[in-house]
Amino acid sequence: MKIHAVPRFLLAAAVVAAGLLAGQCGGRKKERPVLHLYTWSDYIKPELVSRFETENACRVVIDTFDSNEAMYAKLKAGATGYDVITPTSYMVSLMRSQGMLRTLDHGLLPNLSHVDPEYLGIAIDRAMAYSVPYMLTNTGIAYLKSKVGNFEPTWGMFGRSDLKGRMVMLNDMRETIGAALKFLGYSLNSTDPAELARAKDVVLGWKANLAKFENEQYKNGIASGEFLLVHGYSGDILQVQAENQDIAFAMPREGGVISCDDLVIARSAREVRLAHAFINFLHDPAVAAENTEFIQFLCPNKDSYGMLDPSIRENPGIFLAPEIRAKCEVLADLGEKNTLFVEVWDEIKSGM
Amino acid sequence: MRRSRFPFIMTGVVLVFFYLPILILVVDSFNSSRFGGAWRGFSLRWYARLFREPAIWESARNTLFIALLVTFASLVLGTTSALALHRFSRSRLQRFHYTLVYTPLVVPEILMGISLLMAFVACGIRLGMLTIILAHVTFCVSYVALTVLGRLQDFDFTIVEAARDLGASSWMAARRVLLPMLAPGLAAAGLIAFTLSVDDFVITFFVAGPGATTLPIRVYSMIKHGATPLINALSTLLLALTFTMVLISQRLSESGALKSRTAEQT
Repeated sequence: MKIHAVPRFLLAAAVVAAGLLAGQCGGRKKERPVLHLYTWSDYIKPELVSRFETENACRVVIDTFDSNEAMYAKLKAGATGYDVITPTSYMVSLMRSQGMLRTLDHGLLPNLSHVDPEYLGIAIDRAMAYSVPYMLTNTGIAYLKSKVGNFEPTWGMFGRSDLKGRMVMLNDMRETIGAALKFLGYSLNSTDPAELARAKDVVLGWKANLAKFENEQYKNGIASGEFLLVHGYSGDILQVQAENQDIAFAMPREGGVISCDDLVIARSAREVRLAHAFINFLHDPAVAAENTEFIQFLCPNKDSYGMLDPSIRENPGIFLAPEIRAKCEVLADLGEKNTLFVEVWDEIKSGM
Repeated sequence: MRRSRFPFIMTGVVLVFFYLPILILVVDSFNSSRFGGAWRGFSLRWYARLFREPAIWESARNTLFIALLVTFASLVLGTTSALALHRFSRSRLQRFHYTLVYTPLVVPEILMGISLLMAFVACGIRLGMLTIILAHVTFCVSYVALTVLGRLQDFDFTIVEAARDLGASSWMAARRVLLPMLAPGLAAAGLIAFTLSVDDFVITFFVAGPGATTLPIRVYSMIKHGATPLINALSTLLLALTFTMVLISQRLSESGALKSRTAEQT
């Protein structure tokens, strides 16, 4: 009887697989429209998704990507089927220039009146013609209160040699060169070679004091006390703060980067009305407040601010003081000029 | 003569190098801290949370479903192609065929991912589970074909000829003699195909359509925004599953060998 073992196994596998396939097709309710959301992982409160599904008698399918560039490469090569996507602002302008996005119908988006005009003032798509801001994060400095004496909120902290080897900056050319540009009083999006050359010297000076340039492990590093002062995203730092009360976050007085992930509708979207309804739903002030508290990034919805927990409302790392906020900028897509940054970054990394 | 201790030490070093990271991951999955830097006490909270994450389980179901179908399809295609390659190894056509089978092993994954995506888009196939399955089969077939081909190289075809002499039709000989003799090779090839399919990230990322997120894609995107301890807990569960499966298959093959040995003796 052993003779039949292999073909039987294969047959069994085929039957199981066919059953699974049938089960999946059967489980799909045809009459309910499906909205496809393409976003970062854990980037929306699950209960809100269920509420939207009930209210609109639809199903929301969420797929995830891990970098703007990978998502762009995939869509550019022709992948379709996604309705709402959440790229970072600079990627939105690139996608827009490639004709990959739909112009938004403001008649379907009454809740846009709640979007924070103060943020829109520095946004790339100020009129919200094709993108609506979803979540903001600031890049600033986190440090251990008990270990770092005389802390001052300035990028110049990275020049302090008493913290040598215990500091980390982001391994991101726009963020790190941008910090130096801000320190010197220039724009983050400067493409003036002389300004960039000065910024390079500043970063090289800082580099002597840094343990490394790094993007992910710095969170663990500051949580465990291995690093004393790190350059990082406020959203990340808030999560670490929940574990280690000794960590503080500050926005340097020279200003820094505000990054925003936007809600956009893909050119190839099938459920255009539903996509608008979804964007509108996320900017309902109560929904926005709930989402902000869950993700710990900030949804720039001015009428939701009053509903937030005081711990978030009074956090200077999330709600920046107006005079600092005025100095912050959003990273713009530099197009061809991007190579200027690449060159400077290469020289910094190779230590020239 | 005293035995050199070098091999012993070397083995130890290699084992530590291979298994220490896994051990750290397992230990960290029980760490109540979200950021693995410091130990903040034993806790099962990540496991508890894992069971409340429907998205992860849906990805796991997608992954298993795809892997099962891919294993089946690539076993059938790969074995037939190995048989053809072996039987007509000297014909020019089959040498060309061999190059074709070999190519997916050396083509960079990212190239394969993008080109498959472009091919699917050009053909107007809607991206989804089907496209992932097709893409996985394209590279799994090569691994299956080469594994089975290796088996065929020291296969004694006189047994098949004997079966034919004794009156078996060619189909009967293939089914009752060739396939059972090849079974260990097929099992190995199937396991490779299954593992590759479950593992693949780069190609899958490009050809996956809406609603067809697999576990590797989910895990990769979780590193950015999600909680890494959840990934640790999930990996620990998968490890436990893999080890159990390996143990069971070893038991089975051992008891099988024992049975055939006793059968020979009687």
